[in-house]
Amino acid sequence: MAEAVPAAPEHLASPTLYRPDASACPHIDRGEVLRYLGYTGQDIDGELAARIELIECNLEHDIAPRGIWRAFPVDARGIDASGNPCIRLVGTTVELQGRDIFRHLKDSTSCVLLACTLGMESERRLHALGGQSPLEATVLDAAASAYVEAAVDQMDAAIGRAARESGLSRNRRFSCGYGDCPIEAQDAIVAALDATRRIGLTVTPTHLLLPSKSVTAMIGLFEGMEPAADARPSCANCRVAGACAFRERGTTCY
Amino acid sequence: MTACTPRTLDTLRIADDDLRAVLEGRRHLLFDGGMGTMLQAAGLVAGELPELLNLTNPDEITAVHAAYVEAGSEVVTTNTFGANARKLGDAATVEEIFDAAARCARASGARYVAGDIGPLGALLRPMGTLTFDEAYELFAQEVRAAASAGVDLLVIETMTDLAEIKAAVLAAKENSDLPIFATMTFEEDGRTFLGTSPEVAAVTLDALGADVVGINCSLGPAELRPFAARMVAQTAKPVMVQANAGLPHVEDGRTVYDIDPASYAEAVAGMVADGVGVIGGCCGTNPDYIRLLADIVADRTPHPHLPTPALTVTSAQRLVSLPAQGHAIAVVGERINPTGKKRLQAALRDGDIDYVVGQGISQQEQGADILDVNVGLPGIDEADMLCRVCEQLQASTLLPLQIDSTDPVAIEAAVRRYAGKPIINSVNGKQESLDAILPIAARYGANVIGLTLDERGIPATADERFAIAERIVGEAARYGIGPERILIDCLVMTASTNQDQALEILRAVTMCRERLGVKCALGVSNISFGLPAREVLNAAFLAAAFGAGLDAPIMNPGSARYMDVVRSFRVLNGEDAGSAAYIEHFAGWTDPYKGGAAPAAGASAAPVLDDVTDPIRRLILSGRKGEMAAVTEQLLATCDAMELINGHFIPALDEVGELFDRGTYFLPQLMASAEAARVGFDTIRRLMPASDIASKGSICLATVKGDIHDIGKNIVKMLLDNYGYTVFDLGRDVDPQVILDEVLARDVRLVGLSALMTTTVPAMEATIELLHAQAPNVKVIVGGAVLTPEYAEQIGADFYAKDAAEAARIAEEVFG
Repeated sequence: MAEAVPAAPEHLASPTLYRPDASACPHIDRGEVLRYLGYTGQDIDGELAARIELIECNLEHDIAPRGIWRAFPVDARGIDASGNPCIRLVGTTVELQGRDIFRHLKDSTSCVLLACTLGMESERRLHALGGQSPLEATVLDAAASAYVEAAVDQMDAAIGRAARESGLSRNRRFSCGYGDCPIEAQDAIVAALDATRRIGLTVTPTHLLLPSKSVTAMIGLFEGMEPAADARPSCANCRVAGACAFRERGTTCY
Repeated sequence: MTACTPRTLDTLRIADDDLRAVLEGRRHLLFDGGMGTMLQAAGLVAGELPELLNLTNPDEITAVHAAYVEAGSEVVTTNTFGANARKLGDAATVEEIFDAAARCARASGARYVAGDIGPLGALLRPMGTLTFDEAYELFAQEVRAAASAGVDLLVIETMTDLAEIKAAVLAAKENSDLPIFATMTFEEDGRTFLGTSPEVAAVTLDALGADVVGINCSLGPAELRPFAARMVAQTAKPVMVQANAGLPHVEDGRTVYDIDPASYAEAVAGMVADGVGVIGGCCGTNPDYIRLLADIVADRTPHPHLPTPALTVTSAQRLVSLPAQGHAIAVVGERINPTGKKRLQAALRDGDIDYVVGQGISQQEQGADILDVNVGLPGIDEADMLCRVCEQLQASTLLPLQIDSTDPVAIEAAVRRYAGKPIINSVNGKQESLDAILPIAARYGANVIGLTLDERGIPATADERFAIAERIVGEAARYGIGPERILIDCLVMTASTNQDQALEILRAVTMCRERLGVKCALGVSNISFGLPAREVLNAAFLAAAFGAGLDAPIMNPGSARYMDVVRSFRVLNGEDAGSAAYIEHFAGWTDPYKGGAAPAAGASAAPVLDDVTDPIRRLILSGRKGEMAAVTEQLLATCDAMELINGHFIPALDEVGELFDRGTYFLPQLMASAEAARVGFDTIRRLMPASDIASKGSICLATVKGDIHDIGKNIVKMLLDNYGYTVFDLGRDVDPQVILDEVLARDVRLVGLSALMTTTVPAMEATIELLHAQAPNVKVIVGGAVLTPEYAEQIGADFYAKDAAEAARIAEEVFG
């Protein structure tokens, strides 16, 4: 018998679109782009610097990111098909496996799923340039990664504000592919957010996001303060300690 | 041979006269509203397959339908939005779902049942991984299931990809005789997620044979109204709109939408006033909304609407429209045609599609409006190559395509899979040609160029050319192809041997346009064959042909002289309103006929070889491609090609590789150096006979099946090219068998595989296994973010390269 799971606060549980207009679009962090390109302080001559800058400017000018987010209640007592503990998001088919995401969400009451994409035009440009000008394509790839990260940062900040307004705290965002969290969950995350219809995001049969300049992430929401991230993990102050599937089999999630 | 019967309302199975009146635009039709909204209100889990409810909870589904029928819906839509084999997986068969869904719908007592077909949820190639034919098969299965379940019509909806909706409409048309309602979903910028506008959607879907075209989902009715009006202006077919009730939010534990029924209905009434014939609701609407819509269309007949007649050509992103009344110019770029172009021939033989696409991109930049695509070459599979080239062109350029071949099989293969309404180049007055090509143009709603030649060859006079054109137009009419879909090419003969024909050709152009109501195309440059200063004569002829009525010159847009004529004529025919484009283009123009003019941009004076002993090294190390061609050319005058390569280029590239390894250079610098070297190599190849430049061996590169990242692979390709290898780039998401076939066909000794994700490494392992089993002499080198030397060894790779520079060194090792 499942106990009633607390619902996420209503304004967090409504799907919220992120569609910044030209004035609100994020800015590409130049340093981040160079970092993706392996920059460690080399001298860049004016010609190359101008090429990189032009690509960044065009990307910011021509492409607006879109995103969607929504909070779902967390059920940390589930067991997946292979008998391992997992996190389920109530009202969706999302099932998150692995110790890392378990630790990340087990104490949270709800979890915000977010998805953000630069859209098919970014994909088309990467594709077209890839065959014609590998240097521009490589720089665009890095710039687009930095751009979608910047967009997710904006979404992340908005989610933080919304959580605070509801008296909740939040932890950092976590994505499939981090640690031992498999990317197979992408399909269910995209489906739960109806992200194909709302922002044009699809998943390949190999669970990659398409357009490729896209991000999905999960943010845990907590009543009161989240247990400090730097504290040593322990079962002593854990919300699910009483019914922990890891502990039942004589182990822990850390 | 019987002429194929064109698809008309008479060939369809139409439930009754009222539905027929709807399809003829004489009657309104009211659909239902959202299904998902109602199901979610009933507690459906987000992300689950709602189609299974037809099997598990049929009464609840019927109750939703019945509520709509009670509110006034004449059509209810089956709960089969995602009922394709790809999404259903093992949960149920497509046939089971459609059968149960149609039963639920009929049980509601609805007048008509629409079989609902939504998107497949996967992107088509070349951006995605699904092929057009796979998409078609998935849709065909749904269509057959819907038809045998007894639905009255098909509604294909919420589509964002023109290629996908084309596959669906073709599947509907070829697997049933039911009326087809087809709608796409637009964002607030007036484009679908994949860039299609309402105009392009209306024109393309109408041409393909959809009986009703329209818009659904995404936005509210007030926001969709202008998009609907734009569709109404492009098609005579009924236009349909099913808008959302705005955006959802949660209130008192329930999801509600922000547009109330009254404001929704008011906006829909506006659309009906604009000419929209078929209405209903989408996400967020419920019977309360539909009830108000029923009042709007009660006792009303739709506004008749007729688009301005025009010849229309589309790609997924662009509409080129040449109005029947008046004279607009569409430049057809002719450069993708291997006749007389050695480099293009080699690219086609080597499968170097990037080069071919580059020709398309440059023509787009030069001002072409449409791209002619001809890949006919002895010894290549033309149907396959034409499809591949068209697919890649559509991914990298925005322009509509003109599919050019003498082989009807190749034409049909490409036209069928093309996302848009293309031009077929060409049919001619020979009966054999008419019988082969016109059915293809009819089946896919394409435009067609008719050449004025027949069994007796190309006639000499305007009257005889006109007679053939008239015959082509007459034959086309039998297939339902009107003059608004025909361009006549009166065939230019060279003035050097047929001087008397030059003006006859122009007279024929005028006759065809005025008497047949067709548009005219001409391959202009033939006029000067055998004469000097060809561009001068061509430009004069082009101007004269515009004066005679030429609409679509097939020409090289890279010639500034021709484009000057085009830009000038667009002022004279009023196409360039206020001469704005002309003024902008020629601002700061210098007359090339006047002495002392500045040299054209790019043609810089001969470089001075500086006192540095090795200018090649300097240019490569500094990554400057600008001077490279001139410097290489100068050195070739005194230096043997191989000596230049081995003594200057390769050592400089090695040095760059070392600088990169030491961290003195970072990736863009390595690539800028590779670019500069590439310009030098291209210069050598252009100036030297191929026999003077030995290839060091053949290498095949691919991103493995299921993986879509190709940046790393492209960098490796760039470097290996420079080191003198012949590189066959198979692209991304490549099947192991395709790689093996290429290896065997091209005598490849080294294969480079890239995989970026842990989920695609198994595909890499499978590829290596296949290669080692079937081509034991081939070595495999792997790379990609998730790989390590240990992991590479574990999956059987012969080499692991941490970056492109290392891949180049490994290649040296393999080829010695």
